[in-house]
Amino acid sequence: MPRSDTATEDRRQPVIALDAVTVRYGTKRAPVTAVRDVQLTVAEGEFVVLVGPSGCGKTTLLRTVAGFERVAAGTVDVRERVGVVFQQPRLFPWRTVGGNIAFALARRGVPRPERAARVAELLERVGLPGTAGRRVWELSGGQQQRVAIARALATEPRVLLMDEPFAALDALTRERLQEEVRALAAASGTTVLFVTHSAEEAVLLGSRVLVMAAEPGRIVAELPVDLPREPPLAGHGLRGTPEFAALRQRLTETMRGVPEEVSEGVEAAPVP
Amino acid sequence: MSLTQAARRTTEPARKPPERSASSTPAGPSGTNSRLLALRWLALRAVALVVLLAVWHLVVVAEVWPRVLVPSPGDVWHAFVQASTTHDGVRGYSGHLLIEHLGVSLRRIGVGTGYAVLVGVPLGLVIGVVKPVAVVLEPAVTFLRTLPPLAYLSLLVIWFGIDESPKIWLLVIAALPPVAAATAAAVRTVPGDLVEAARSLGGGPLTLLLAVRLPAALPEILTGIRIAVGVAYTSVVAAETINGVPGIGGMIRDAQRYNQTDLVIAGIIAIGISGIALDAALRGVERAAVPWRGRT
Repeated sequence: MPRSDTATEDRRQPVIALDAVTVRYGTKRAPVTAVRDVQLTVAEGEFVVLVGPSGCGKTTLLRTVAGFERVAAGTVDVRERVGVVFQQPRLFPWRTVGGNIAFALARRGVPRPERAARVAELLERVGLPGTAGRRVWELSGGQQQRVAIARALATEPRVLLMDEPFAALDALTRERLQEEVRALAAASGTTVLFVTHSAEEAVLLGSRVLVMAAEPGRIVAELPVDLPREPPLAGHGLRGTPEFAALRQRLTETMRGVPEEVSEGVEAAPVP
Repeated sequence: MSLTQAARRTTEPARKPPERSASSTPAGPSGTNSRLLALRWLALRAVALVVLLAVWHLVVVAEVWPRVLVPSPGDVWHAFVQASTTHDGVRGYSGHLLIEHLGVSLRRIGVGTGYAVLVGVPLGLVIGVVKPVAVVLEPAVTFLRTLPPLAYLSLLVIWFGIDESPKIWLLVIAALPPVAAATAAAVRTVPGDLVEAARSLGGGPLTLLLAVRLPAALPEILTGIRIAVGVAYTSVVAAETINGVPGIGGMIRDAQRYNQTDLVIAGIIAIGISGIALDAALRGVERAAVPWRGRT
């Protein structure tokens, strides 16, 4: 297993540390091991991508970090405040766009008079200025996901957990949001743990990619991504470079080589 | 997904959101066509009503049954006018106009349902989220729900006399179960997705209950309230069985005592029509209060 990122990892403070974590679903009589004996350390400022086929436990692992799952064994240590962005926007339909973000601000104890300004600022950050008064169902899927990101950012998380946040979006919107999330994370130094089944997305976003396999869910390979990300190669300029293509190819092969993995749909369009 | 939605998705870059007024409903059937159709259905209803009145009138003219038992539509209209006006120095029926009788009953229904909502919604919330409470109280709510109001009226009269309070109590007892049951069922089926999202934003148990589960359950709660108003409506005549004047139920009881069949029918029609109007109003409130229903 290549561990070339270790050097940079050690210099920084780990914000997520999972040690020998096992998560089980189902009843005592018929338990299903979703994740077995996983070791995961994420350092501050890292952009770590978990990639693997469906059913490999990558979402379970992310949910464990978020505190939504109880571990059957092992320890979970998350040192910073986390924000979660799900595959679906999960906005509250009874609140306006601004109201959804204000909900998060209220939980962080932001006083009421200050909320409107903070909401406007957050909407600006995700490219939706002036939409605070709108109803969530008036927005497109991509816009709703932007609001969900703004709402997660409202809690000022130091760690952002993203569970296939762009899988349900069309290609054009997905590319745009990928670029923006990458830029947002880089600008604020936010640590990101990102789940996807797309090798392309993994290489595009991650500074480190962890490949998972199913039955039981576990991490089987690690791939450091050391691509030039300075303009003009930032974001999607990167796609055209031979380095990108080579890395993506390597990742795809790693994923194919993973035992028990039926090599389907790694790059296929996500099911809506 | 409709074509227009698909188009809007692919043109997502939306730095500026598409300007669309909130009232315009996307992807509805073309306006004029549906309006024409609605008009046609309305006409069908009107025709049916006229036919009903004509048959009714013919039956009376043919004297199938004695006129005391089956008055003509004209008799009923006459009784309605008599009860709604002051004539020969007598104000309406028993000193109150029909509209006043109806108003008193509506007030009772409103107060009764109001208390039922004030108690029923919190009760339903607790039943919905606290299992032990559900185990104890849910059968009790079901028990109350199955009781016919007349069954407990006697008890209420013994306890509270014959003034206003037993009537209000009866309506509260009748209207409470639908509200509590609907609320409990609704908070149980709140999408776990939303609860989880709220938790990830730092919501504690009380916030989750009041700021997530309650509003998420609101559409079903409002439906429960609408059902409760209906139950209160059907119970108000029972509530006004004893000392019910003024009150539309009391008026009907008195008219029955004096074989004023025409007035009984007029009273029934008044209750029915006001019930339809109130239900329509409540549907309007529902639409305004939960505009997101069916959109997410």
